[in-house]
Amino acid sequence: MPEQKTVTFTINERKLTVPAGTLVIEAARRTGIEVPAFCYYPGLSLQAACRMCLVEVEKAPKLQTACTLVAADGMVVRTDTPQVHKARKDMLEFLLTNHPLDCPVCDKGGECELQDMTFRYGLDKSRFVEEKLHSPEQAWSPVVYYDAPRCILCFRCVRVCDEGMDVKALGVGQRGVLSVIIPNREDHLECEECGMCIDVCPVGALTSGAYRYKTRPWEMKYVPTVCAHCSNGCKTTLGVRNNEIQRANNRDLSGINKDFLCVKGRYGFDFVHHPDRLKQPLVRRNGTLQIASWEDALAEVAARLKTVRDAHGPDAIGFIGSNRTTNEENYLLGRLARGLVGTNNVDHHRTADYGALVQALGESAGAAQAGMEQLGAAKAILLIGNDPTNQNPLVAWQIRTAIRQNGARLYVVNTEEIKLKRKAAQFVRVASGAEALIAQWLATGEGDLELDTSVEMMQLRGAMEKERDAVIVFGAELRGAAIEHVVKFGASLPGQTRYIALGDYANSRGASDMGLLPDRLPGYVWTSDAAARDAFGKLWGASLPEKTGLDSRQMLAAAARGALKALYVVGANPFRTFGAGGRPAGLDWVVVQEMFLTETSRDADIVLPAACAYEKDGTVTNTAGEVQLLRRGLETMGTRTDFDILRILSHQLSKAGVGRAIPLRTPEAALDEIRRSVRGYGVSLPGLLAGGAERTAPLAPANGHKLIDVPAESIFSPRDTLFTSGTLGRYCTMIHSVPEAKSES
Amino acid sequence: MTLPPRLENKFSELLKRYPVKRSALVPMLLYTQDVFGYIGDEMVAEIARRLDLNTLQVTETLVYYSMLRREPAGRCHVQVCTNIACKLRGGEKLWEHAQKRLGVGHKQTSADGVFSLEEVECIGACTGAPAVQVNYDFHENLTPEKLDKILDEFQAGRKPSPAPYIIGSIHERHPAEAPVISRRFGIPNSRKIDVYRKHEGYQALEKALNEMTPESIIEEVKKSNLRGRGGAGFPAGMKWSFVPKDSPKPKYIIANADESEPGTCKDRPLMEFDPHQLIEGMVIAGRSVNSYQGYIYVRGEYRYVLDIMDEAIREAYEHGFLGKNILGSGFNFDLCTHTGAGAYECGEESALMESLEGKRGYPRIRPPFPAVVGLYGCPTVINNVETLSSVPSVILKGAEWYANLGPARNGGTRLFCISGHVNKPGIYELPMGFNLLRMINEVAGGVRGGKKLKAVVPGGSSTPALKAEECDIPMDFDSLAKAGSMLGSGGVVVLDEDTCMVDFARRIMKFYAHESCGWCIPCREGTSWIKKILDRFHAGGGRAEDIPLIDEAAKNMFGRTFCPLGDAAAMPTMAIVKKWRHEFEEHLNGRCPYKPLDVPVGV
Ligand SMILES: Cc1cc2nc3c(=O)[nH]c(=O)nc-3n(C[C@H](O)[C@H](O)[C@H](O)COP(=O)(O)O)c2cc1C
Ligand code: SF4
Ligand code: SF4
Ligand code: SF4
Ligand code: FES
Repeated sequence: MPEQKTVTFTINERKLTVPAGTLVIEAARRTGIEVPAFCYYPGLSLQAACRMCLVEVEKAPKLQTACTLVAADGMVVRTDTPQVHKARKDMLEFLLTNHPLDCPVCDKGGECELQDMTFRYGLDKSRFVEEKLHSPEQAWSPVVYYDAPRCILCFRCVRVCDEGMDVKALGVGQRGVLSVIIPNREDHLECEECGMCIDVCPVGALTSGAYRYKTRPWEMKYVPTVCAHCSNGCKTTLGVRNNEIQRANNRDLSGINKDFLCVKGRYGFDFVHHPDRLKQPLVRRNGTLQIASWEDALAEVAARLKTVRDAHGPDAIGFIGSNRTTNEENYLLGRLARGLVGTNNVDHHRTADYGALVQALGESAGAAQAGMEQLGAAKAILLIGNDPTNQNPLVAWQIRTAIRQNGARLYVVNTEEIKLKRKAAQFVRVASGAEALIAQWLATGEGDLELDTSVEMMQLRGAMEKERDAVIVFGAELRGAAIEHVVKFGASLPGQTRYIALGDYANSRGASDMGLLPDRLPGYVWTSDAAARDAFGKLWGASLPEKTGLDSRQMLAAAARGALKALYVVGANPFRTFGAGGRPAGLDWVVVQEMFLTETSRDADIVLPAACAYEKDGTVTNTAGEVQLLRRGLETMGTRTDFDILRILSHQLSKAGVGRAIPLRTPEAALDEIRRSVRGYGVSLPGLLAGGAERTAPLAPANGHKLIDVPAESIFSPRDTLFTSGTLGRYCTMIHSVPEAKSES
Repeated sequence: MTLPPRLENKFSELLKRYPVKRSALVPMLLYTQDVFGYIGDEMVAEIARRLDLNTLQVTETLVYYSMLRREPAGRCHVQVCTNIACKLRGGEKLWEHAQKRLGVGHKQTSADGVFSLEEVECIGACTGAPAVQVNYDFHENLTPEKLDKILDEFQAGRKPSPAPYIIGSIHERHPAEAPVISRRFGIPNSRKIDVYRKHEGYQALEKALNEMTPESIIEEVKKSNLRGRGGAGFPAGMKWSFVPKDSPKPKYIIANADESEPGTCKDRPLMEFDPHQLIEGMVIAGRSVNSYQGYIYVRGEYRYVLDIMDEAIREAYEHGFLGKNILGSGFNFDLCTHTGAGAYECGEESALMESLEGKRGYPRIRPPFPAVVGLYGCPTVINNVETLSSVPSVILKGAEWYANLGPARNGGTRLFCISGHVNKPGIYELPMGFNLLRMINEVAGGVRGGKKLKAVVPGGSSTPALKAEECDIPMDFDSLAKAGSMLGSGGVVVLDEDTCMVDFARRIMKFYAHESCGWCIPCREGTSWIKKILDRFHAGGGRAEDIPLIDEAAKNMFGRTFCPLGDAAAMPTMAIVKKWRHEFEEHLNGRCPYKPLDVPVGV
């Protein structure tokens, strides 16, 4: 790599050497020198509009804006002179002439950048005696409110919506002192409702409909955790007061998502408090579900499981796990099914073929998986299938970031004109279902493409062959052998190629990684692998079954035939997801760990009310294979975490003579076991505790298993949108309140 | 949507002018308004569709420009200028009269829909003050009675004839005048190409193309000491030399005909009497930097001037002075006009380029400067109309000759627009460095009514006013800078002893507050704050502490705004507080002690 050029300049008598092209404001901040700014926002285009960042530069006749000033060799900058201090004071005085100063009732009070700056640099007394401009607050959408008098016109919102979101829903109206921010539909917004504009607003001009006038920032406790919805794993900070979530945002810009949160991460938390939440165990008696105590319910579950196993053998029981429960919980479920009950009938709704990707990458899987950060820094991106804007909003954001900040080139192969097409260097529209064929063609040059498509694909391949640093991103359209093809194509490219498989839910990846699969143990080792079986068997104190179990669909089919007698469901809705017919008739007995009465739980025999992601500790793994910590923010009385339910159940089962109880008492203990025993999960604990996203390094030896084309019925995307989120999404009232959500469903 | 054919034709013609469609936006909006009287939601959507924009992008741009309306106005839209030059000659009285007569106020429409009324900022008729525009027609040198007659005509459904040309541009030459760029003013049909050619027209271009290299053109312009006439006085040749020669990008030449600095009305006659002179200057400029496309950005109010320019451009194409292979030289140059739609800030060069790209007229961060990154991100030379109109004379008569017309470092002549309290307001071409007192007393006939001189604004409203005793000064860039003011745009506004300087400062600040684009805090908030204080102060609500407050607020803007508009607002204010502080103090007892005449005199 060519040596990076640097420049050396002086700031407040301190010599700094920084990469050429560094802005003075950035250089100053990195050295801990505060330069106040409103309009400057890292990552967005420069404005130099607020004039707060004026600094003295030797030999310059006027003060200069540090936000646009590029450090140069020999430059002498001062940020702490009387002239600079006065300029800041004066600027704040100007700003406050039309600012309402209603801080005591403003949502932003306590975390407002204007308030902070006035405190630090401002005058204590106003010389402004004229009448201020007034105008009423406007509701632009149920979740976005605008208060024009408070707006300081830093244009951060306009830029984030345009440059960051590529939505362009905000603009500027009027001019001069009458300038205001205007929404794209005269008096309301029609947009992605991400609320990014609210987060970047330095003052209380844009506020969240979900949070307005509810509480004060200092009255909440803040719980950094991971969004419960899609598979991208955005960090979100819950503001909790009186055991109630007041808001969710990412104002501290931490986590893999930095600035970003979508509508679900920001507003999709109210399911927690939904009146339909189950808060007591239910047991079917005389045909109806009736309230029971936890003790009774769990005892009954253990007893019934034992009965079925004794009568029909372990393979008469099936386990369907969740896309949203933690790694620890998924690990426990697999351990309970395989180690205690003794069956490989374990699965979940698979939304991406992570196993195939890991296996296709072989030895290099650890390094060849791109994390979200690498995606944002990529030079080229090939996107096959999926609609990230809707299904994987952070992935879409990172793709836009790469384009905006590194001039990355995006190549898109899709059956629809997805929104990212606008940003694509090349977009190839292919026939529905042709993605796997495209993968094959890319890898082998073989396959019958339509003439137009093959011309365009030839051009695309030519362009990709010139790229040195590419990330290939693909959706559930590619499975099994198709993934192997894509990896083969990627390996043929001249530079480094990395991959992301796109799944759909908060822990889709973790469910796979933890072995909620009928033929794989945690870490993608095949159940046919005797050594691996032995190793886990030793750890779990059991001898593990070898034979491949039934997948979700097969379990339901077997149940319909009467071959499968009992079904144990955790946080999933299989009767809806896999079958139109509801509960299979031949199924004797169903138990469900759930938050709500879903199509599955309402037909169950026992329903155990589960805590949700915001109510538990543990880890989840995002679709890019990055592990992050969930932190418990509150609790709902009467519910228990899936972890505790499974743990206690294992004790009950063991007492009844079914296997050995799971001795792991806490999610931490389970994580510890996972880190030691699951391939690729030896992630750094301090890193996790510090709020980091730790990359896994999976490795799945083929063990004689060839990747074959997996049918779409086994691995498929539910194609959620920005405003839906599977079963959980039905209970997100705030999201439903936005008009765009209505037009979606 | 099907549009009236003339609009459809205009749209398709406009779309051909620019490499980027969006550039057509502001003209499309203005021409739409000409047809429908306003721009309705349907047309917003239609224009957005045609330009591949979203409706917000169109709306956002639309609401920036003060001429553009989203609601219908009257059939006759009466726009009364009350800015300084008009104010000094009764503009505000005319405005009051118009309101009474029509029974409507600012931006209101009469019940019968015939008239709507608007108080407007300087419309570039300063030497014909006070002036009114009805739709696009200028009516100048008005009195309330004359205005009544005009309105009667409109009321009766007739169209009274507008001022034949800008009043003050044609007059008996004063012997001290040195007509160079105005030498063809008053020649019958001077705007026709044949007449132009009979009077040395396009000879400079021939010389430039046949006898000179791009480098030698730039050299010649450098040597001529021709400095920018738009206000800042930057040496034109030097600016041209900054254009990177080896840049593979297209290069653009822009004539800044946004002329909106209050007190300034010289680009208007330069284009209406001598459009070919400007075209010739632009082609030569184009040749010097190897550009093949020029634009003339004409303020929206100057529609008839724009039409004249369009016709002249058509003629120039017809005669081979524009287009491909000009005069067999192999040099190609295309030129077209572009209309603004009411925004002083769009005269600022980088805001002008944003506007020309179809956006809100926000200025750009500099560096990079337009010579390197300008229109569409390409190297661009932007000069004032007067600057470019001077180029043919420089080339034809030689740099030395031109430079020698003025003092050192200030080559050539200037069109001075002398307005306000003089007996003979007018546009006079005088050598650079001409004495200001002589200009007022000899050329412009002295202060009217035998009154004493109080102050002179030497170069448009943003230049600090000079006290009477400071006026014995040569009018060139350097002398005025030394005196703490600026030569500016050539708008010399003369104030007699009865003028209230507080009121004058108030009117100036009202203008800048109206025209601040709102991009940066100090200008957006400062202009409006100071205006509010001055309003209150002049109306009798002044407090002693307001005087230093006005001064400090202006100082706090000065040098800290994003673009020079903030300075333009601060400088005259600071000067007035400093030089006429006693007048502020005289207001503290609650009443303005000045009784200005404020009526047209000597008409
Ligand atoms: C607020 C503002 C308004 C301006 N308006 C005009 C104008 O109307 N016409 C003009 O030629 N220059 C105007 N200028 C100056 C231009 O920015 C630019 O300097 C000029 O067009 C350069 O041409 P010149 O070098 O030939 O003077 C304005 C500048 C500012 C800051
Ligand atoms: S909510 Fe998101 S999409 Fe909507 S206006 Fe704000 S930033 Fe733009
Ligand atoms: S609404 Fe907030 S972010 Fe947007 S311009 Fe106003 S202050 Fe800035
Ligand atoms: S000084 Fe600032 S607000 Fe004023 S016109 Fe320039 S950029 Fe706009
Ligand atoms: S941060 Fe530099 S001007 Fe706003």
